[in-house]
Amino acid sequence: MTSATAPSGPLAALAGNAWLRFAARRLGRLLVSVWVLLTFAFLMIHLIPGDPVRAALGVSAPAELVEARREALGLNDPLWQQYADYLRGLLHGDLGTSMLTGLPVSQTIGERLPATVELAGLAFAGAALVSVPLGLLMAVLTRGGRRRPVELAFTSGSVVLAVVPEFLLAVGLVYVFSVELGWAPVAMRQGADSYVLPVLALAVGPAAILARILRVETLGVLQAEYVRTARAKRLPDPKVYLRHVLPNALTATITLGGLLLSTMVAGTVLVENVFAWPGLGGTIVGSILAKDYPVVQGVVLVYGLGVLLVNLLVDVALALLDPRSTIRES
Amino acid sequence: MTWRARWLGVLRTPVGASAAALLGAVLLLAVLAPVLWGARAEAMDTAQILRPASGAHWAGTDGLGRDIFARVLVATGTSVRLALAATALAVAAGLVLGTAPLLLGVRLGRLVTAVVHIAVAFPGILLALSFAVVFGAGARGAVLAIGFAGAPSFARLTQTLTAAVANRDFVAAARIAGVGRVRVLLRHVLPNVGEPLVVNATIGAGGALLAFAGLSFLGLGVQPPGYDWGRLLGEGLNGIYLNPAAALIPGAAVVVAGLAFNMFGEAVAKGLGVPTGGTFRSLGRRAEPAPAAVAPAPSDVLLNVEELRVSFPGKDGPVTPVRGVSLTVRRGETVGIVGESGSGKSLTALAIAQLIEQPGRVGARRLDFLGADLLTAGPRTLRRLLGTSLAMVFQDPATSFNPTRRIGTQLAEVAREHLGAGRRAAHERAVDRLQAVHIPAARRRARQFPHEFSGGMRQRAMIGMGLMGSPQLIIADEPTTALDVTVQQRVLRLLAELRAAEGVAILLISHDIGVIEQVCDRVLVMYAGRIVEDLPAAELRSAARHPYTRALLAAVPDLATDRDRPLPVIPGRPADPAAPPPGCAFAPRCPLADDHCLTEDPALVSDDAGRRVACWHADRYSPPSAFALHTNTHGAYLCAEQSEAVVTAGPEHEA
Amino acid sequence: MSELTFENVSVRYGTGRRALTAVEGVDLTVPAGSVVGLVGESGSGKSSLARAAVGLHPVSAGRILLDGRPLRRDGRVDGRRPLQMVFQDPYSSLDPRMTIGASIAEALPREVARGSAARRDEVARLLALVDLGAERAASYPGQLSGGQRQRVALARALAGRPEVVIADEITSALDVSIQGTVLNLVRDLQRRLRLSMLFISHDLAVVRYVADHVAVMYLGRIVEFGPAEQVLGEPRHPYTRELLAAAGRTAGAGLPAAVADAEPADPHHPPPGCRFHPRCPVGPLVHADRTVCREREPAPTGDRHRTACHFAPGGAM
Repeated sequence: MTSATAPSGPLAALAGNAWLRFAARRLGRLLVSVWVLLTFAFLMIHLIPGDPVRAALGVSAPAELVEARREALGLNDPLWQQYADYLRGLLHGDLGTSMLTGLPVSQTIGERLPATVELAGLAFAGAALVSVPLGLLMAVLTRGGRRRPVELAFTSGSVVLAVVPEFLLAVGLVYVFSVELGWAPVAMRQGADSYVLPVLALAVGPAAILARILRVETLGVLQAEYVRTARAKRLPDPKVYLRHVLPNALTATITLGGLLLSTMVAGTVLVENVFAWPGLGGTIVGSILAKDYPVVQGVVLVYGLGVLLVNLLVDVALALLDPRSTIRES
Repeated sequence: MTWRARWLGVLRTPVGASAAALLGAVLLLAVLAPVLWGARAEAMDTAQILRPASGAHWAGTDGLGRDIFARVLVATGTSVRLALAATALAVAAGLVLGTAPLLLGVRLGRLVTAVVHIAVAFPGILLALSFAVVFGAGARGAVLAIGFAGAPSFARLTQTLTAAVANRDFVAAARIAGVGRVRVLLRHVLPNVGEPLVVNATIGAGGALLAFAGLSFLGLGVQPPGYDWGRLLGEGLNGIYLNPAAALIPGAAVVVAGLAFNMFGEAVAKGLGVPTGGTFRSLGRRAEPAPAAVAPAPSDVLLNVEELRVSFPGKDGPVTPVRGVSLTVRRGETVGIVGESGSGKSLTALAIAQLIEQPGRVGARRLDFLGADLLTAGPRTLRRLLGTSLAMVFQDPATSFNPTRRIGTQLAEVAREHLGAGRRAAHERAVDRLQAVHIPAARRRARQFPHEFSGGMRQRAMIGMGLMGSPQLIIADEPTTALDVTVQQRVLRLLAELRAAEGVAILLISHDIGVIEQVCDRVLVMYAGRIVEDLPAAELRSAARHPYTRALLAAVPDLATDRDRPLPVIPGRPADPAAPPPGCAFAPRCPLADDHCLTEDPALVSDDAGRRVACWHADRYSPPSAFALHTNTHGAYLCAEQSEAVVTAGPEHEA
Repeated sequence: MSELTFENVSVRYGTGRRALTAVEGVDLTVPAGSVVGLVGESGSGKSSLARAAVGLHPVSAGRILLDGRPLRRDGRVDGRRPLQMVFQDPYSSLDPRMTIGASIAEALPREVARGSAARRDEVARLLALVDLGAERAASYPGQLSGGQRQRVALARALAGRPEVVIADEITSALDVSIQGTVLNLVRDLQRRLRLSMLFISHDLAVVRYVADHVAVMYLGRIVEFGPAEQVLGEPRHPYTRELLAAAGRTAGAGLPAAVADAEPADPHHPPPGCRFHPRCPVGPLVHADRTVCREREPAPTGDRHRTACHFAPGGAM
């Protein structure tokens, strides 16, 4: 239902209220999500069948060592107390200690995190910069069944690129550009040119998906009656597209774009392993294989927080772009 | 019934057919390869360790001298089987979670929805990694991990789809009829969401395949001595300088199989969705009634349209919903076009305003507005002329404003574009125009968004937008249909007021003959893409000569309708614009129709007073003086002749 | 043939600050064998009342009685479902995946027709009742026109052996040339089967044609109720008069500007006092001394012809 009657207070107050309510609601949801994430990360370790310390140290480790390590990790305390300790630790930035290296998990993450953030950030920026103009252009070119060949080429090309998973693309890129052509380093993070292939591997798929979605959304918006209204106002085409079509197509795309960004954060895990990138992705896989659970727990937590942060940004962006979303959302 | 035809239709498209063939090949290989090449894939040859690709070993050999190509082929079985298992798990868990809100009731359902909502935000691979920790590295763990990781998005999809179906009236009707929740789900909801679920499960299987390859590649999936594509790829990557084929061939296998699932799903989704229609073929010339001599347009004529046609490409050649409409609007005149859905009235309005989009085609012998020929004018002239002198008002004010921009900005845009006004001046004009259409507190309202306006207010703001320039003509397409009666009256009053104050001509399109009669000077009645009658609104009830006009008037009950007699009705159903009958389009429903009517289409002919009618039997009702007593004569005629027909055979006509 | 009574019924949606009371304290009786027309604009609560009656939405206060026996939450009385409903949109009210026959058969009570042959005969009988041939039972809704679908929807409602049929805007989605056929059928069936009926429409002329009694609803309240010829012939509530004027296309002539420019009210924030006062031509907008309209909600007065207005002609004050 729309608010048909004039609001009683001044407009500014109402807008402020709507935004305040939005912020409060969104913050509430964030806190619940964070709590779920923390608890999940905590329980993850406790759901593992058997003794995680025994699993980590191997069958040959002496019983006393296992017992001492269990004691040190607090695994012998009642579950609720472990949970309380865990939460208290988190408040102080204590993510636990690695079972293998004995280093604080937070230190490892601190060292590895920047590389991953760089990778995901660059890849997302690249994907967005390419896909938004491309999607819009394709929609405009192929609207109302125009230019069938262009449409076919674009849709089939983007399907293929969207399907190829990032790690396979990474392998392909390594083969072509490093093995055959020798233009780029095979692995590691040294110098600007070492960024090219990992970023490309991470960005191409999401860019293809995003461009496809944006095209479809734009085609939908082009059918909207308010676009007909804009045409009835006899605005020149560029103004119709930039003022009336793009903002509405973007609002519909942003949600999916956010999901893609989350996927990209996760995609770093695979790409980092192909390129031996010194980020969190390599750390988590290594830790899972080595059964170094405190590290796994910490990294999962960081990844999860990253995803929640992305979702928050998406909602804020939506609220800014679409004035209805602050009110509509319940 | 039709669903089978639709699925077959999908397979007949090139994309659908090749995707299906590819998918079939992958599945076949998955079954046969382990049987055919299982032994070869296990055969170790210590003399042939880590060899590059050659004629004997297409993809080279691995560290134990096994043929990698054979291993890739055999791995199809494991890869596809595990992917399908994970998909089945995801679908099953997703269905349970997704239909839970429907079965559990409001409160518990909302909780499940919220949980799914949070889980969906987490990328699958991240969930899979976490689950891999819990379930341990290995094929079983990976199936569980990928299955559960895929469940939230499937649950979300199921929720969205079922919620949409559950809100439809047939589900409400089933509940009223006493059908239980589980039966409603099984009989009404699931069959109606089945297709999208199957499509998405197929696409999901492709995703699971790729995810599985990813996990195995990381060493978290299939463990040695077992192997799948991901594992082979991981092993191959280590030696990519020595033997690229060892990495590239399993990679290609993953991509091809993933594509097969994906493409098939997409093709099915597209095929079962809205059909896009055939390509446009040039319009065939149909025999048309002999045109009247083209008279020079008198100077007070604002809009002069002759032989306007609008056509769209259809499956079996072009469809022409507007078939030769001729009309004029004089300065300050209010002309109404009335007709049922499919009569072409709205398309006529859009065509006049040059708003028909491709693939629609507009043709006319003449389309003059303010003395300029709209058919030949350049885009700049057109923009300036129509931008300032022609205003449009559309049916649904809720969707006709851009939801993301403020009302004032949307109005001001016109002044900035066409009047060269600055930002401030344009805004002032917008506020002024909002006041002119009686928007209270216009200055404040101008800063609001469309959703903050009520329906009637939006429609008035839409009219205000038309007044930003100095319009000579307002084309209003069903401007009151979406509004409540009391609000309707305000909009109609506003239009009348504008006309009186500013001398604007109005072309009002409506299905409601009462609205037209109330507001207009002249009425054009449209049926099946043609004007069938054109007469002064004041004479509508006394001098209408076309049987359709008369039937339309009689069929609508008003506050004086006799409650004790059946309503006169028009038998049959409106003509299909895709296949207009050869003769008079109304003939199949007309009580006066004879053989002549069924074979030859009557031309729209004018009488001395400028009234026009297209009917072979129009003289049955003329001259008007014979109808001294208002509607009774024709009303009685229609009742006598048609109500009989309806009571006995009406419904069959409608078939 | 039964009497349907709404006793002080309220229907509420949502909770907290987004709560919406769509129907508030409605008393209404549909006398046995007669048609009560319920008119009002969108947001007046007329459809909410209908959905509450058939158990699609719970009532938050009050009772709904059938011949004096209360209806259960799910719309049952003594294990039967004596109320059936026909919906506005014939394109959404039939399952596209089910044949017409299956849709109708689903609504048949178990004791009415046992065995598939009996059910088939019963479906054929019901189709005949709405002037459709028995062979239509095998058709899917997609093969039928809007008018024919609405007939099927009527047949399905009748399959449940209802005491009362609720028709919610059943002609408003149809073209004018089809509308008459459905109205004629409804009238004919109602008289032949002596059904009690609650006929909801925004169109006064349509309601006038089918209804014996008329109830006018505004923002969740019944503001006027009485025999059709009285309500429509001598309307007492200013809102009824406005609706009649709109239907008769004479609205707005001579309305004061303050009234003509008033905006429709927001159901989320109904005004205090009489809900119609912010747009009432006989209320405080025009007569400054009539402050009572702002302060107190008028109680319905009158006997057969009831009106809830402080200043209704023939009313209490």
